Amino acid sequence: MGEPAMVEVVGAEKHYGGLRALSGVDLRIDPGEVLALVGDNGAGKSTLLKLMSGAERFDGGGLRVAGRDVVFHGPRDAAGYGIHTVYQDLSLCENLDTVQNLFLGQELVSSPLLGHRVDRRAMEEVARRVLGELAVKIQSLKAPVGWLSGGQRQGIAIARALVTDPSLILLDEPTAALGVEQKTEVYNLIFRLRERGCGVLIISHDLRDVQHLADRVAVLRLGRKVTEFEKSQSYDVDDLVSAITGAKEAIV
Amino acid sequence: MNGDWRTRLGEALAGPYRTVPVVLALGAMWLIFNSINSAFLGSANLHALAQQVVPVGMLALGIVFVLLVGEIDLSSAALSAVAATIAARLLVESGQPLLVAVAAAIVFAISITFLESLLVIYGVPSLIVTLGGMIMLQGGLLIALPSSFQVSLGGTSLAEFAGTNLSSDACMIAIAVAAAALLAGRLAVAVRQARGGEGDRRALLAAARGATPVVLGAAALLVAVAVVGRGGGIPLSTATFFVLLLVAWYLTTQTRYGTHLYAVGGSRAAAKRSGVPVSRIVIYSFLILGFCAAIAGLADASRTLGVSAASGGGSLILDAIAAAVVGGTSLFGGRGSVWSAALGALVIGSINSGVQLLGLSVEIQDLATGGVLVLAVTIDLVISRGSIRPSRGRLARA
Repeated sequence: MGEPAMVEVVGAEKHYGGLRALSGVDLRIDPGEVLALVGDNGAGKSTLLKLMSGAERFDGGGLRVAGRDVVFHGPRDAAGYGIHTVYQDLSLCENLDTVQNLFLGQELVSSPLLGHRVDRRAMEEVARRVLGELAVKIQSLKAPVGWLSGGQRQGIAIARALVTDPSLILLDEPTAALGVEQKTEVYNLIFRLRERGCGVLIISHDLRDVQHLADRVAVLRLGRKVTEFEKSQSYDVDDLVSAITGAKEAIV
Repeated sequence: MNGDWRTRLGEALAGPYRTVPVVLALGAMWLIFNSINSAFLGSANLHALAQQVVPVGMLALGIVFVLLVGEIDLSSAALSAVAATIAARLLVESGQPLLVAVAAAIVFAISITFLESLLVIYGVPSLIVTLGGMIMLQGGLLIALPSSFQVSLGGTSLAEFAGTNLSSDACMIAIAVAAAALLAGRLAVAVRQARGGEGDRRALLAAARGATPVVLGAAALLVAVAVVGRGGGIPLSTATFFVLLLVAWYLTTQTRYGTHLYAVGGSRAAAKRSGVPVSRIVIYSFLILGFCAAIAGLADASRTLGVSAASGGGSLILDAIAAAVVGGTSLFGGRGSVWSAALGALVIGSINSGVQLLGLSVEIQDLATGGVLVLAVTIDLVISRGSIRPSRGRLARA
């Protein structure tokens, strides 16, 4: 199999009561790769994301990071292994400014002596660097993020993950609520993450997005991985749709 | 800049200019009162006003912390009376030293608000917890008081607190030194940055802009001290309140705790996902409320030379909530500042003082205070929308 994958899901099982949300799903993501996860509602995309982000536990199977088995007890553990999640609702505090949001829960403090005084200057420096790398333009770092556009907020949510230099970023429906122009902004963000050598797992319902963005597409149906498409394999949206709905399997 | 003037006005009001309308309204009110009775802006009345605002201001300060995490408090006024009664009886009846009495009041008040906070983080709405708490504490006050239902503090060390004045010269020197130190610190940083080669002149310019609030604030304070001081110095209680405000300002704006405080008020879900200890932050707010309530009760008892069944009653709690909101702290959580406690207390105190000085009836006072509260909440709503247009949706609350 060559080198161990950066992050690998092995035989993931998850059930909620009698409902089988995932069974025997394998997935592998390498550095600088954009992997899209597609499937109908209830196919298990979000469940898989929750397992990988540490929000929920595996009922069977597990996760390997750089070839080592790991167990997450919460999102903090995942972050410790360089896996960051950008939630669909972005999880930003609209009343806080950009810098405060980027460092929320991971503030740089100058000294614990003065009641954990925050080092605003150092945080602004990192914020400028990270936002610059992603080419996210924000007029004032001091303005509450509630005043910013959807694209800028998506940028901040992704930049927040970059503050700690992650190896894998999980994006849940990053373009769902955006207009055309802002979607393009987010596409560019994702390409820049890839250039950095960051792995990106993206869940999306927009199959044109997926085709445009992904190096590889994994299709889930009813909790199982049915197939994968490589970018080199010239597939079109119809191929994806038939895989998602199961029409293809019936033909084969 | 985007949008029309109304949007821009909305954003300016939500941002750094949040207090400007309040200050303007306060100034207008003072001029009107003074034009009717020129004693209003006399140093004697201002001296009395400076003292009167302390109990309401201290309560409002505690309430600001609770409002910032998106909760509410109704019990702190009653709590302040019970805490003060405990201190008064320890002083007068048991002959304990002042320090012991004050410590007992603070410990009692913090314990009560700690219990309240446990129920709140368990999920009981704070409105109910503190409403029930208020009613219980009102009953508790009658139990805590001796059978005469009052304790006189005349001649005790606690009474001296309200009677003590600091020399206004000393206060002015302290303010000038503190402001100079702050400015020197900023300048030093700016110069270092400029030498570091990053946007040399721009760094200095930014520092100059950052220094404006310090300069304006210090100037306003010096004028206030000069005017109030002519009435016999600066009341020690007012100076204490101000120092506590400074501490609260530091905590809320300069520390990690402060960021978390605002984050919890802005979005609990987002704060939790980011690793902010949400429950702990809510508990801290209530502990601070307890401390502030104890100080408010002691200041009030000291000023009125005793405690009685009427202590902490009447419109005190509503005045304190009104003060916090009028000063610019949002009822919806996550927006506001500790200065709103002082500014709002000054507005409410000025209404009360003006009504008395003008010989108007108490009903007018209630009408004015209530009207100002409704107006303030309306303004808060407008600001939370980000515009004065009635429906805009962008910042609309669920």
